Amino acid sequence: MLTVLVSGLASGALLAAAALVYNVMFSTSKVLGVTTGQTAMLGGVFGAWFMTRLHFPVIGALLGSVIVGAVFGLLTDLIAVRRVLSRSDEHLWLLSTLALATITQQAVALWWGTEPLPFPRIIHQDFGAGLLDQKYWLPVVTALALAAALELFYRRTLYGKLFLAMSEDAFAARARGIPTDRIRALSYVIVGAMGGLAGFMAGQLTFAYFAVGITLSLNGFIALAVGGLGSNAGALVGGAALGILSAGASYFIGGEYQNTIAVGVLMLVLLVKPAGLFGAQVARPV
Amino acid sequence: MPPAADTTRRRIAFGGVLLLVAALPFWVRNPYQLHIASLIGVYWVLIGGLNLVAGYAGAISVGHVGLLSVGAYAFAILAGPHGWHPALAVLAAGALGGLCGLLIGLPSLRLPGFYFAMSTLACSLIIGELALAKQNLTGGGVGLAVPGFAAPFRSARGLYWLVLLLAGAVTWFTWNVTRRMWGRALIAVRDSVIAAQATGVPILRVKLTVFVFSGVTAGVAGALFGSLQSYITPDTFVFEMGLFFFVCIIIGGRGSIIGPLIGTAVLTALPELSAPLARLSNFLYGVLLLVVVLIAPEGIGRLLETSIARIRGQRPTSLPVDPDLRRLAAAIRSGHSP
Amino acid sequence: MKLRCDRSGLGVIFAVMGALLPNLSTTAWAKDKESIRIGWLSSLTGPQSTSAIAENKGVEFAVDEINRAGGINGRKLELVTRDTVSDPKTAVNFAKQLIFEEKVVLIIGPVNSGESLATIPVVAKEGIPNIIIGTVDELVDADKYPRAFRPINTNRQWIEAANDYALNVLRRKNVAILGDTTGYGASTAKAATSALEKQGIKPVYSALIDQNKTDLTDELNKARAAGADVIMPWSGNTGFMARIVNARGDMGWSVPIVGHPTVMAAPLRKLVNKPTYLDNTFAAGYSSMTYDDKGRLPATTKTLQEKIRPRLGDGEIAYSFWWVALGYDTVKLAEHAIRSAGGTDPAALQKALEDTRNFPGVYATYGYGPKERNGFSDKNIVINQANSFKDGVYRAAPR
Repeated sequence: MLTVLVSGLASGALLAAAALVYNVMFSTSKVLGVTTGQTAMLGGVFGAWFMTRLHFPVIGALLGSVIVGAVFGLLTDLIAVRRVLSRSDEHLWLLSTLALATITQQAVALWWGTEPLPFPRIIHQDFGAGLLDQKYWLPVVTALALAAALELFYRRTLYGKLFLAMSEDAFAARARGIPTDRIRALSYVIVGAMGGLAGFMAGQLTFAYFAVGITLSLNGFIALAVGGLGSNAGALVGGAALGILSAGASYFIGGEYQNTIAVGVLMLVLLVKPAGLFGAQVARPV
Repeated sequence: MPPAADTTRRRIAFGGVLLLVAALPFWVRNPYQLHIASLIGVYWVLIGGLNLVAGYAGAISVGHVGLLSVGAYAFAILAGPHGWHPALAVLAAGALGGLCGLLIGLPSLRLPGFYFAMSTLACSLIIGELALAKQNLTGGGVGLAVPGFAAPFRSARGLYWLVLLLAGAVTWFTWNVTRRMWGRALIAVRDSVIAAQATGVPILRVKLTVFVFSGVTAGVAGALFGSLQSYITPDTFVFEMGLFFFVCIIIGGRGSIIGPLIGTAVLTALPELSAPLARLSNFLYGVLLLVVVLIAPEGIGRLLETSIARIRGQRPTSLPVDPDLRRLAAAIRSGHSP
Repeated sequence: MKLRCDRSGLGVIFAVMGALLPNLSTTAWAKDKESIRIGWLSSLTGPQSTSAIAENKGVEFAVDEINRAGGINGRKLELVTRDTVSDPKTAVNFAKQLIFEEKVVLIIGPVNSGESLATIPVVAKEGIPNIIIGTVDELVDADKYPRAFRPINTNRQWIEAANDYALNVLRRKNVAILGDTTGYGASTAKAATSALEKQGIKPVYSALIDQNKTDLTDELNKARAAGADVIMPWSGNTGFMARIVNARGDMGWSVPIVGHPTVMAAPLRKLVNKPTYLDNTFAAGYSSMTYDDKGRLPATTKTLQEKIRPRLGDGEIAYSFWWVALGYDTVKLAEHAIRSAGGTDPAALQKALEDTRNFPGVYATYGYGPKERNGFSDKNIVINQANSFKDGVYRAAPR
């Protein structure tokens, strides 16, 4: 039973990190990009590549993965989001991010191959450590660190406040002289870096595998919806809840119904409280 | 050219195309090409319905492949082990598809676009899981053989004509829907929800109705697809297929019937013409989708139109508004409508 | 709404039709010097590509070898390859293309059970002989698909060999069966369970696990709690197998693993946390692909290895060699059928294959019959030791 809790928390932490990424993306651009999962996938795949093929030290590989993620985030903004937002159609960004996510996934499949490849140890540790194994607590620590860093960022730094301003009202922010395009690009760089870091830290859990992206985007979104859009605490809670629920479901009921249960939870929450557990009630324009 | 003759020319061209398509089994080279043509038709039965949802109402359903598999399995199970008459089984498949559409659409259509898209994706994954898990019903991983239809639709040619019939019905139906007020309502819902609401369009009901309709067409398409494949397994209905349906619509152009039809034909036939293309097909769909969204969101059809017009040097015409001012003034003064 | 863009639309429709219209096909050569076209459906890209790529090497080498020796009665073999991308729909489309457009006389493949389930009825309907490489038992049926012959072993043969080793050699009674949730994994696990039950053994723990589930410690803990003394995994997925082996090792649970050949696949050596984790792990393998006590290969295997090694790249062979041998054998089997039949008439090919007894291949010896379409005999299967992989071949497990 304890193992269900621990492994559920670990996989849930990755989902929580994805939800945090969604939050940041949404805050500055009102876009929920399907590319979220791909940033983590790139972090995992490139991290493994840096360490196993190019023989970087762990720190170097970590930095490399974060940079790769950041670059991908920037590309997402430049390619999929910027042009699309300048038109008023609200659905096009969904299509463009979906297209970019597909392109990335297929390109990585063609380059890296379709077999999951090993992700090496990050910290020296014996394998018999059981529940204290690093593949469990690394993702959890990462998710918590990311959430804490985001809070600090929003509260203490000027750029954080700019993000908040943009998420409140982008027009007003622009009227005040805030270069919204550049801020948004910065936020996407942060998004990519976060995803890359999360993917790197969770690499031992997922193996370096090209298909991680879409399911992570979906499940990370479920975590986000459950916890509430716009709330970082909600992201953590939602991710943990979903992770533990999934692990528990496949432990007690069997792995065949994993998706059914996860989505059942989503549907239930959305029916009862569409804003999620911690979400802000958005006033509907009439 | 005077308008009447132009319309007649158009009608003749249209009739010619129709004749060519109906006679396809006779002039096509071999059964493989007939198979591809039938496949295009089957996909169009689903995409024609999905077009109303995604192309007109703007609801992004990426998980429609789940409804296709519901229809396919329903047909295989009912017409196979249970021995139903294939015509009845097709109707049941369509009805089941519509029911699933209702179950999926009811909770998720009131949510914003991204939520809805993710819900459809998630539901298609669930349907895949259930198909695998319920081994006694669906054969699990091993899958099911799918029976053919009753004569005269049993042969490959017969199946093609059945597909053509149903595809034609879907086309005719959706074309009429879009010409009337319904079509305008759908476009209004897609482009400006608030304005649509303000003019009294019942948003949820409109979206739900077209979504259920697209579920019915998906169910019927599933039955046809299963029969064409002659064997179905859960592996057949992958997420990439849902993406493919979607790309056909976007590339063809939202808000058009003929655009997605051409998109479907081209995208289905393309991997067959070139073997290396088949390998890269998913990658290319992503690239095409991105290119179209960024450069030509109205679809390639419209892009072709405008480029042809630009090459010809035609200036974009607008319908001149030319009211009868005297009559209008009189109506305003007297307070009656003319 | 008017029929918009009808002119450009019509143009595109005609273009598509034109592409489908009569392509240039080969004009009729003199009939007796015409090449023999063999179709090859292989999933060279996509999730199931590793084995397909290796088999492809064997197939292409065999075709080249036959052609270099002058072909069959002066007619060269022409291999028409189609990459099915591991997708059943593409496989069906290409099967039809091979039959109707490329006019092949025989089709080898597809490589995976998922695709084979879809294409075998299609190929059978046209009466084209089919040499199939999927292992799911339902693929073959002498009445429904009289011209589909299988040279590879069946799932049943793998399962029975593994069960025999676990129950009778290792003398275990409490079996934990683990399968993944793919079509192949689920159906094979189910078949394994019923095979055990026929022997009067009910598994103490049985689970189908999502193949992307990141950690399998929970499931193994449950198996241990249920009193399992042997784990039998049935999956074609290397990542999944690696996680089972890792979980067992991390837990420090010294229980044997006996199962599907994938558990001893070469990529696992890099996926396991410690090389010692692969100890006490056994899988179904082949007598033709097993070193004897003196570390020598069977003569035919050695010969093929030496002949084909230049094509396989430098260094040791880093994947299971039986895939290459299997690919090689499918073409040799086709050659044998065409020679015995004296031509490529489908009914004659069927008879020739039905009459085959003890045809010696590299991978195995094959024999069919009027009602027998599985050509691989039980005695060709052995149990190998997972950690003994070297140069594509294994050592036998201790008895």
